[in-house]
Amino acid sequence: MKDFHYKKSWLIALALAVFLVLAACSSDEESGASGDGGEEPDKITAWAWDPNFNIAALDIAKESYDDDIDLEIIENAQDDIVSKLNTGLSSGSMKGMPNIVLIEDQRAQSFLQSYPDAFYPIDDYINPDDFASYKLAPTSFDDQQYGLPFDTGVTGLFFRTDYLEEAGYSMEDLTDITWEKYIEIGQDVKEKTGKDMISLDPNDLGIIRIMIQSAGVWYVDEEGTNVNITDNEPLRKAFENYKAMMEADFIKANSDWSQYLAAFNGGDVATVPSGNWIGASIEAEEEQSGNWGVAPIPRLDMDGAVNASNLGGSSFYVLDIPGKEQAAEFLGDTFGADEEFYQELVNEVGALGTYTPASDGEAYQKENEFFGDQSLISDFSTWVEDIPSVNYGMHTYAIEDILAAEMQNYLKGKSLDDALADAQGQAEAQLK
Amino acid sequence: MWKILRIIQNNNLFVKMFLVMVLSIISVSVLITFSTIRMSNNLFMETFSITNTKVLNQIKQQFESFSYSVVYTSINVQNNATIKRMLTEEYVSSLEASSSFYTIQQQMDTLYNDSPNEANMIILGENERLFNMKYLNWPVSAETLSTHRITERARANPDEILYQFVSDGDITNDTPMVVATKALKERSSSHIYGYLYIPIRELDLRGFFEDYTSEGNSVHIVNGSGKIISSNNQELIGQDSPELLAYAKETEENSLEYQEVNIFNKNQLLLSSALPALDLYIVNLVDQEAVIHNLVNTKEVALISTGIVLIAVVVVFIISRRMTNSITRIVRQISNISKYDFSKPIDERGGYEARKIAHAFNYMLNELQEHVDVLLRSQRKQRKSELEALQHQINPHFLYNTLTSIKFLVKEGKKEEAFETMDALIPLLQNALGNVDETITVEQEITNINHYVLINQMRYGDRIKVNSLISPDCLHYHLPKLVIQPFIENAFFHAFTEKKQGFIQILIARRNEQLVCEVIDTGDGMQIENMKSHQGKRQLFSGIGVRNVHERIQLLFGEEYGVEISSELKKGTKVKITLPLLDEKSKYSNKSKNNTKDRFIDGGNF
Repeated sequence: MKDFHYKKSWLIALALAVFLVLAACSSDEESGASGDGGEEPDKITAWAWDPNFNIAALDIAKESYDDDIDLEIIENAQDDIVSKLNTGLSSGSMKGMPNIVLIEDQRAQSFLQSYPDAFYPIDDYINPDDFASYKLAPTSFDDQQYGLPFDTGVTGLFFRTDYLEEAGYSMEDLTDITWEKYIEIGQDVKEKTGKDMISLDPNDLGIIRIMIQSAGVWYVDEEGTNVNITDNEPLRKAFENYKAMMEADFIKANSDWSQYLAAFNGGDVATVPSGNWIGASIEAEEEQSGNWGVAPIPRLDMDGAVNASNLGGSSFYVLDIPGKEQAAEFLGDTFGADEEFYQELVNEVGALGTYTPASDGEAYQKENEFFGDQSLISDFSTWVEDIPSVNYGMHTYAIEDILAAEMQNYLKGKSLDDALADAQGQAEAQLK
Repeated sequence: MWKILRIIQNNNLFVKMFLVMVLSIISVSVLITFSTIRMSNNLFMETFSITNTKVLNQIKQQFESFSYSVVYTSINVQNNATIKRMLTEEYVSSLEASSSFYTIQQQMDTLYNDSPNEANMIILGENERLFNMKYLNWPVSAETLSTHRITERARANPDEILYQFVSDGDITNDTPMVVATKALKERSSSHIYGYLYIPIRELDLRGFFEDYTSEGNSVHIVNGSGKIISSNNQELIGQDSPELLAYAKETEENSLEYQEVNIFNKNQLLLSSALPALDLYIVNLVDQEAVIHNLVNTKEVALISTGIVLIAVVVVFIISRRMTNSITRIVRQISNISKYDFSKPIDERGGYEARKIAHAFNYMLNELQEHVDVLLRSQRKQRKSELEALQHQINPHFLYNTLTSIKFLVKEGKKEEAFETMDALIPLLQNALGNVDETITVEQEITNINHYVLINQMRYGDRIKVNSLISPDCLHYHLPKLVIQPFIENAFFHAFTEKKQGFIQILIARRNEQLVCEVIDTGDGMQIENMKSHQGKRQLFSGIGVRNVHERIQLLFGEEYGVEISSELKKGTKVKITLPLLDEKSKYSNKSKNNTKDRFIDGGNF
């Protein structure tokens, strides 16, 4: 019996030893469990377009930011940003979305109203009163400030002083003119210099938008909800002007942004009526330094129209994903508070922000050598004050696509009444 | 060295058993380990090649659907009359230009929707008009593109869709890309009026397969000239690797599932799939080392096996040691028994088997012992009665002769001598007929011998003289009866056949703790061989003969005692009887242990 116990204990000891060895061999797999999906990402991403302007502004902000931030700035075409945002936000999956995204003011409402939960309000990081008031309406929603207002988008008529001089025109001749006068001058320039007056992409009715905002109207009514095309006198005028320009035959057609840039960088066109942000791209062609000037944008020939408008001003938005606090803090500390940063922005990029405390700075008074020592920023700042405020509503570009098609029909001979009526009908049907 | 050999020899069983077990354990473990590793490797390779073939097929499908879109788009572009018109017509007015730009963009928008998301679409007309759907991906100008080599190649092969690699730094903003090109040709006149480009950035192309890759499992896209146009290993993009192409072709041509190659300085498993329409090969390389290392932890398997072997060896050592130890001990004890003592039982210890063996052995030993005892006892009994019988046979001739001598002595009036002879005969008879077992003192024995000698001298005269020389300290020692007498008789009747007179000397002394009695005659001597014939002869006094004496002594006292006879012709014979020193006390113990003995008395001197 005793022997039996002895033997049994041996077996148990053996089994134990084997078990221990096996356990020791296989145990190391368990360790090193991974922490799931870090709350704070190690880098902040930002999407923007236009390397000469928006991207450059972000780069400066990154440099002037006191804290350490790993900011990755990704350049995308504006259309791509819009479509990616739409895809991402509508699917509800925020995977691959940036922390900071630049959105054009005219599109902002469509995003804010469609996806209110996707954006992170930044009231705690900035004081909205520090910014130009006309920027606040498009960038806020439900009394919460979502966008950090960036550039003004104030328009000007950039022109080649040398070409116009050759045609016999000076700065004065271009100041405070109507679009009719502009067309007249254009014909003259084309005749005398052989250069086209303007480059246009037939798919982009930016110039129409410039025209109608200078008269204080938009594609939609003041409520921002009802399509306003048939009874829109400024729009009618703008269409007529557009057709007149076409018929004047001084338009260099382009099909994309790079061709648009190439048109004026290559010296093919005499004027560029656009937002102030185009200045950076114009200055990119250094050989043309001193040959450029900026006049106020022409106005529609009607009551209430002013020589000031807005095109493509945009603002930064923070998406409600991990890293949002860091991103909002970064924006608030630079674009939302740093006056010196704005001086630098003006000096380096020629970007005119809408942060009012910065407008007293020296840089704003500085003369620009490229533009024949014109006090460009100062001029723009003056014009900003005259920009009529309009409600862009949610559907600017959807309506514009319809208008562009009708514009072609109008150019081909359709009556303006019919074209606008058809556009109104289509837009109402589509946006219902 | 000897010690080790000795130890090995002593533990022969254990060493054999242990070695066999250890060798078996080790070989079994090693074989199992190797076959396990090999099997899992094979299994893994098999599964891996199956899954990777599937993966490859999926990647292929992606490429094919991309290729299909490209073909579809290019056919549509080719067939699109509006686009053709826009690309060929020379215009002057802004209105026409604007209209055509608008139209072509609208057309391209429609066509482009069929194109995969990330691909771009560029149409270049012979009038140097360029329409770019994603200028940001590739902001190329009409001038640059129309003279670029990809356009030239497209012009040279107007009927084919060519997939051309444009490396970074070329004109592509540092983004390598693959451009599908197709010349747009007027069917009737073969006039090329424009080019369609469908560029896809390498990083978008990579998206087709990057999700399937992992460390050690890479996918490369090689074009027909051996250039790696896309890869998840970005260092390889744009490099020429004719080697890879050759392997891919070989795999494809021989319809191999996979083959093992050494490429990029690594042993890799190569799977490949051809995209003939694109003139591309999708090559999947699996780094065997990296992947298998992750999957089969050879080290762990080896460690487990080693651990099991070690434990098993220790256990085997202990168990077999316990088993063989008991058996070895039994064996040692058994082999020692024959040397020492049969009666000593061996230890019944150790394992069950050993105890059983020991028990059986002891049982057998006891039986044997008993049997031997019985046998011995009956033998002794038999011998004793035999000797007794012999002893009691007093030769009638001796009595007859002696009595005849006495009669003559009386007749001759030698009354005194007759009386003397009678006196000698009486104790002699008395002694001879007494208990065989009894021993007598040396003194008594001498007296008996003297009586015997006297009787003989009375009868045959005193030409043979007998002297006895006894060491006084020996007188009290005991010795069995009839030990010396037979030799005296022998000397009397056989030693002096040629010589007619001589001496017989009797010497008794203590030597080396032994009692030594010597009977020396000066007679004829003899050949030792003759002894045997003597032995057969009938004894004159009692049945006890010379031969019996030696036998009897050894029976009584052991091997070291007995009778030694040496003889020389013409010189005489010397008989040496060696006996233990027996005193009064030991005489009985001795007697109880053994048995037998007769006695004999004789007279001494004449």
